[in-house]
Amino acid sequence: MSTAQVPSAGTDLAGASPGRRRWTLLDARLAPFVFLTPFLVVWIVFRIWPLIQAVEMSFQDVQGLQNNEWVGIENYQGVFENPQFMQAVTNTFVYTIMTLIILIPIPLVLAALLDRGRTYRPLVWRVSLFIPSLASLVVVSFLFRVILSENGLLNSALGTVGLPPQPWLTSASLAIPSLLIIATWRWVGINMLYFNSGLVNISRELYEAAAIDGAKATQQFWHITVPLLRPTIIFVLIISVIGGFQLFVEPFLLWSGGNSPSGGGLSVGLLIYRTAFTSFKFGDAAAMGVILALLILVVSLVVFRLAGGAKALR
Amino acid sequence: MTGQTSRRRRDRAAEVPVGSNRTWTKVVILLLFMVLAIVFLVPMYWMVVSSFRTQGDLFADFTNLAPSTFTIDNYVRLFQEQPYARWFLNSITQSLGFAALSVALCTTAGYALAKYRFRGNNILFMGILASQMIPFNLLIVSLFFILIQLGLKETYWGAIIPLAASPIGLFFMRVYASSVNDEMIDSARVDGASEYRIFWSVALPNLRPGLATLFILFSLEYWNNLLWPLIVFLQKENMPLAVGLAGMVNQYRLQYDLLLAGSALATVPIIILFFMLRRQFMEGASFTGTGVQ
Repeated sequence: MSTAQVPSAGTDLAGASPGRRRWTLLDARLAPFVFLTPFLVVWIVFRIWPLIQAVEMSFQDVQGLQNNEWVGIENYQGVFENPQFMQAVTNTFVYTIMTLIILIPIPLVLAALLDRGRTYRPLVWRVSLFIPSLASLVVVSFLFRVILSENGLLNSALGTVGLPPQPWLTSASLAIPSLLIIATWRWVGINMLYFNSGLVNISRELYEAAAIDGAKATQQFWHITVPLLRPTIIFVLIISVIGGFQLFVEPFLLWSGGNSPSGGGLSVGLLIYRTAFTSFKFGDAAAMGVILALLILVVSLVVFRLAGGAKALR
Repeated sequence: MTGQTSRRRRDRAAEVPVGSNRTWTKVVILLLFMVLAIVFLVPMYWMVVSSFRTQGDLFADFTNLAPSTFTIDNYVRLFQEQPYARWFLNSITQSLGFAALSVALCTTAGYALAKYRFRGNNILFMGILASQMIPFNLLIVSLFFILIQLGLKETYWGAIIPLAASPIGLFFMRVYASSVNDEMIDSARVDGASEYRIFWSVALPNLRPGLATLFILFSLEYWNNLLWPLIVFLQKENMPLAVGLAGMVNQYRLQYDLLLAGSALATVPIIILFFMLRRQFMEGASFTGTGVQ
């Protein structure tokens, strides 16, 4: 049927017997589909099909598995009128943007400081900062519930440098900063690793040439490192946007049952979970999910543009 | 290598007078990283040390960093009061099962996309990769119904299959598989080997380091995952560690002593494994950074 299905590495079958040759050819045409099928089946049944269903459900009054009534955009109207949802969107948006502001420049500079023999034992520091990302977010959330508590480690550290203790987990305005502290602790090491593997690919000679021309370390950083790392930076930006917008575990566990003070730590992910599995309003949850997906798409595109993504791909 | 660097340094010292500052900057950077390393490691250290404290000692001061008392009482009570051993075992079997399944799916599909040209290859690949953008939060609602329809709620398979077709994993294996030598594949073909035989005896042996990396990455991912198993399992005895622990954290009055023991026991084995397999861990965590390049 299709003629395009040939093995990429030119098939020279002259050596095979005629009968065998036919089988081999058939084999070669079918094989890629046999290899692809298991993945595709799971991918379609558990990613694409639920995506279509979720969009469908967002326009339905979902009572159960069948016979759901179509209600048009009623769910969406309800969701937009829900002050909790608007608060969750604002929180999630602020959180994500702040993680971009913290978790791109700091790891980038740290990775550059560990590059090219700028200090002793770079691997030790890389590993030390990476270790937090090995812990489960459940463990992390519990740990920080203790560390951020009134008489926890952070406040005592603040005390030793003469700063007053802060009500990290008990005030609405400190909810997002608390989440950001956790994000910084958990993700700096991993983002450093991304940048490190990008830095390895930059030719040493570029830096040597720049040094001979009298470029200082900071100039080299801005004019060589940053532009050449642009693809990696964009990659980290995009995965941070996708990850940030899906924030769920930390607000769910940092405050019991996710009940942060006046909803200061409420995220869209948490609200969707609760709407679906505590209030059983599946239609509303699906509508929130669709809005979240669109938000992620739009913000990713904007970030991609702002970071000069098109230039990087060329 | 070292000879080259020292020569370079000597050359620069000859022309640029700031050469003598280099040791100083090195030391300053070193100090910065020492401070950072302490800050980043203190929470874990505190967790482990505190998990061995007596209750009285623990509640007296949450900021105590010194190993002041030693008891394994917290661990003993953890195993008595919660089905922790069960959770731990569930986590191991589910993580390994998930990693094995996911690696198998991603390897075969990634190999097909890397080594065969057919109509729609690229579009399919882009489509799969783009699906990584779909937030899992959107899928949970409908996935939950699909899970019930398929009769997979509360089951091992229900926990691992839905997440197994990982676009990132496929991306990784496609990159890895495209580095397999085409000439080896061709000569196997000339010898009359079937495509499946070629995959099994020519490609797979060459993909082994990639398989190991992906396997570790996926096991860790499942071990630490909460949201999906939280939806799949309501029965305490079926839960993996993350879900069981989350149930303990999701209380108004935390049992700090038990939680510390439980958290340390969920984390320390992973850190030990990390040091045994550091290369694969770090490659797995950072591969996409290079992949983009």
